[in-house]
Amino acid sequence: MKKLLANPHLVLLTRVFLGLLFVMSSLEKIVDPAAFAHSIENYRILPSWLPLTVATILPWLELLCGFALLFGIFLRGSALLLSTMLIVFTGAVISGVLRGLDISCGCFTLDPTAEKIGWLKVLQNSTLIVLSLFLYYSNTERFTLLSYLQKSPPADGSQS
Amino acid sequence: MTRLRQATREAILLILVGASLGFLYSAATEKGVFARQAPAGPVGGAGVATPQMISQEEVWSLYQTGSALFIDSRHDFDFRAGHIKGAVNVPLKDFELQKSPLKDVLRDRLLVIYCDGAECNSSIELAVRLAKEGFRNVRISFGGWREWVEAQHPTEKSR
Repeated sequence: MKKLLANPHLVLLTRVFLGLLFVMSSLEKIVDPAAFAHSIENYRILPSWLPLTVATILPWLELLCGFALLFGIFLRGSALLLSTMLIVFTGAVISGVLRGLDISCGCFTLDPTAEKIGWLKVLQNSTLIVLSLFLYYSNTERFTLLSYLQKSPPADGSQS
Repeated sequence: MTRLRQATREAILLILVGASLGFLYSAATEKGVFARQAPAGPVGGAGVATPQMISQEEVWSLYQTGSALFIDSRHDFDFRAGHIKGAVNVPLKDFELQKSPLKDVLRDRLLVIYCDGAECNSSIELAVRLAKEGFRNVRISFGGWREWVEAQHPTEKSR
């Protein structure tokens, strides 16, 4: 397991996959926060004034975390934030499935005909949770923007 | 432990930046929380009583007499997937009387509003909005779409 956590290629692959996934899925929600708010509202978990606020902020967090993973800046922080968000989302999906709600997930697309919530969705999200926890515990700084910056000149030896 | 502390610091920074960007974008584009007309604002208010809730039996008897206009307050995609036969769709989202099919309906017409089931609020919110617009005979189906389907009453789909 330690070897896996220190494998720079595997970590890079996971970063690119999760990063792209979150950047792509955030864009549609950023463009149409009202539709995303309705997806959230459909879960009937939050009081009625909250979904729009969540829909205003959450997609930007996803976008930032996505870019952070891609560039390797704030890797741990974004992995932690994504894991936490994914765990909360998955909790919401599970509660929706248990309550028998027939609603669309609103996870990666706002298209109401796609992505109905169900146990498959829970499984998908759980995989994403594992991947982001993997990044959180990963032990390599290779291929991150920071490592490139530190390696690059000025070559006067004064690394800060 | 240092890992968690560092990650938490980074995460908090990400949250702050994300929230700022979200609010700025919302203010700039008038989407989201700063939309000119918040779709789900608080309802109710002075002078307008919440319309009466009625049970599934009462809903059914009103349906049979044909005296009421049935209104589905759910999203249009839910409506298209199946609704009470003869009902019209007036989604609470972006409700504006002048653009809705109710604009020419007489204000004393009996309206029965329903949404998904007992847990949903859109029927109540729409009913209050309609009462404010001057509709005097508004009823809310407590059991909503789900009880209607369970009772195997007439439904239809539309594209």
